[in-house]
Amino acid sequence: MKLIMNYMRKDTWSPYVAGILLGVIGLLAVLLANALLGASGAFESFVGWVGKNLNLSIFNNTYWGTALGRAMPIMRPEITWSVILLVGTIFGGTIGALTSHTFKFRWNDDAQWKRIFGPQPWKRFVIGFFGAALLEYAAGIAGGCTSGLAISGGMTFTPAAFLFIGGMFVSGIITLLIVYGRRY
Amino acid sequence: MVTYIVALVLGVGFGFSLNKVGLTKYHKVANQFRFTDMTVLKFMMTAICVAMTGLYIFRGLGWITFPTVPATYIVGNLLGGLIFGVGMALTGY
Repeated sequence: MKLIMNYMRKDTWSPYVAGILLGVIGLLAVLLANALLGASGAFESFVGWVGKNLNLSIFNNTYWGTALGRAMPIMRPEITWSVILLVGTIFGGTIGALTSHTFKFRWNDDAQWKRIFGPQPWKRFVIGFFGAALLEYAAGIAGGCTSGLAISGGMTFTPAAFLFIGGMFVSGIITLLIVYGRRY
Repeated sequence: MVTYIVALVLGVGFGFSLNKVGLTKYHKVANQFRFTDMTVLKFMMTAICVAMTGLYIFRGLGWITFPTVPATYIVGNLLGGLIFGVGMALTGY
């Protein structure tokens, strides 16, 4: 028991142990709620829900609405199961940081990031903002993100998951080759 | 209601595992694309293997039916992956 408690307090776990934990969670999601884990779709559903409640006409498109005679919106503009999961994820991350005493408000303190892009926090904000927008846009095209498509799709043997992982690595490597140059 | 409590509890576990493996840090994600830190792949593939084994056993036993799986449309999945990689390498999210 003491061994487990000490391991809970460790900052970095073995990826295999954490991977087994995530695998069991993915399994429980199907077993208990008949749902798959995901993250990117939750943001889209939540934004859609806000837009619908504000009655903004721009939200009545084929993505969140039933324009052009679609029977079902692509992304349901509601507080879906994934949105609740995402709220839990934020708590889970916080608990993880609290147990290892690494919880702290940070602007930009990743040593490697500072070496490559510079130490100014505004750069982290700008690149973080546009990079994240790009991520969400790409997840919309592909039909999921690293969790919703790569992991959840992978565990149900969906070809889409492996196409996505392949594409992600090709462009990730090329991007870093360009950004890092000689430092790659 | 019960399914929402399940979602919250599983979400906590999900976030906890991501935090403990260090995927909340930029260098962990970026270095995967430099192949100097294999954490992302080790973590992801372990999770996939464990869940996959369990899912197919449970389906064989008739305990579960698979939920709607992500759709496969080759160009979209590939293109999405290609754009996603750029964002991931830049931000480390």
